[in-house]
Amino acid sequence: MKLAPPAQIRHNGHAHEARLAVPPAELATFDFHTVTWQADGFGFDATTGEFFTASPTALIVMQSLSEKLNRQQILERITSTFEVARSTAERDLESFLAELTHLGLTKEVN
Amino acid sequence: MNSSPIIAVTGLHRGENPQPGSAVIRSLRRVYPELRIIGLVYDSLESGLFSEEDAPDAAFTMSYPGAGVEAFWQRLDAILEIERFDVLIPCLDAEMGPLVDSPEKLRERGIHVCLPTAASFQCRDKSKLSELCERTHCRTPQTIAVNDVNSLHQAAATLGGNVFVKGRFYEAKRALTPAAREAAYWHMIEQWGAPVLVQENVEGEEYNVIGLGDGRGHILGSCSMRKMLLTASGKGFGGMVVRDPQLDAIAQSLIAELRWNGPFELEFVKPDGPRGEYCLIEINPRFPAWCDFPSTLNCNLPAAALELALGWQPREPLRRPSPGKFFIRHAIDMTGDIRDLAALTTTGQLIRQAHEPIAQPAFAHNA
Repeated sequence: MKLAPPAQIRHNGHAHEARLAVPPAELATFDFHTVTWQADGFGFDATTGEFFTASPTALIVMQSLSEKLNRQQILERITSTFEVARSTAERDLESFLAELTHLGLTKEVN
Repeated sequence: MNSSPIIAVTGLHRGENPQPGSAVIRSLRRVYPELRIIGLVYDSLESGLFSEEDAPDAAFTMSYPGAGVEAFWQRLDAILEIERFDVLIPCLDAEMGPLVDSPEKLRERGIHVCLPTAASFQCRDKSKLSELCERTHCRTPQTIAVNDVNSLHQAAATLGGNVFVKGRFYEAKRALTPAAREAAYWHMIEQWGAPVLVQENVEGEEYNVIGLGDGRGHILGSCSMRKMLLTASGKGFGGMVVRDPQLDAIAQSLIAELRWNGPFELEFVKPDGPRGEYCLIEINPRFPAWCDFPSTLNCNLPAAALELALGWQPREPLRRPSPGKFFIRHAIDMTGDIRDLAALTTTGQLIRQAHEPIAQPAFAHNA
């Protein structure tokens, strides 16, 4: 599993590498930073006019962050949603959170 | 005044660098479909003359701005003898100076306009932008006006070498080398006259705000967009509506300071990154070529400008376009007729006739 950075536009379908273990809880539209994300992974920033796509896992992480979940809770949500080893999910989550921090989209997550 | 006002519009060429006139006509006809509109053109091949949807009802050739202000007013008088129009919506930068400087000449001729005062107009001049931005706490790239080649190179060195060389009224060329700077300098001198502006290059996303000022410091309506597609010369070929309170506040502050009356376009660059701040590149004292796009979203600024010029009550409120709406420009071919070209070239005027209906081939065959 590899989490896609939120600013990456994907057209080749590689965003869906992780297999869903259970259908994800219905994702309503949510705001993360200045971007409004739809359940299908399309994000639009009304202040800059930029638009993005994100993988289902990246979407879950950003939604979790918008709900103020901590690192453990996010990990729980990922592993209960996708068929993925906990260690793999943990490593990819770290990498994704570091990228979000680098982009100035989130602060350190507990 | 005519019983139903007649409107004159300039800048009808929608070529590589589209002029705004045809978009203004299209917007006016969205609200006032019966309006008689005449085009004032500088070239008989201005593409808007041949459009099925945006063409004026009549057109007259104008004298080139290079012929001087007197020639401009003389030609305008000659046109008024043939067709007395009531409102003028100028759409080209080079026309603005003479009109803004002589409101009494417009009044004498019974021509209504929606233009800024000469003082407001001067304050937004490219060479004065840094003073305006200092007063309004807005960022702007350092700009130096030059009148000779030595000063050009000195200015470029002061600004770090990576600069834009800009025409007094229009056009900008990025120039990294002394040779490129000189070529751009002479081009601007030839096209637009002195001075030439040397501007620090700020890289980032480009944002534009179109709006209409009421002359008392308020914005009657506006639309902000990020340029999504750019032509080789940096013109926006597509744009996405945005809504950023920070951008709105800057626009409001600039227009309040200028007490701007009439249409405007503010051009900004925002450097990438979370700390990037909007940097004002220039203020265009007229509608831009994309002014019909907000009109499709119930923000018809040309119609509002017409109402303002005539002192009419606004026909409909100006709505704020929603973020996420976007435009993409679509170039198509226009069909012209040599007779139209002949009329404009020989007599300087073109009165459009109703087109002859073309028999539908399938129908004709069956008959």
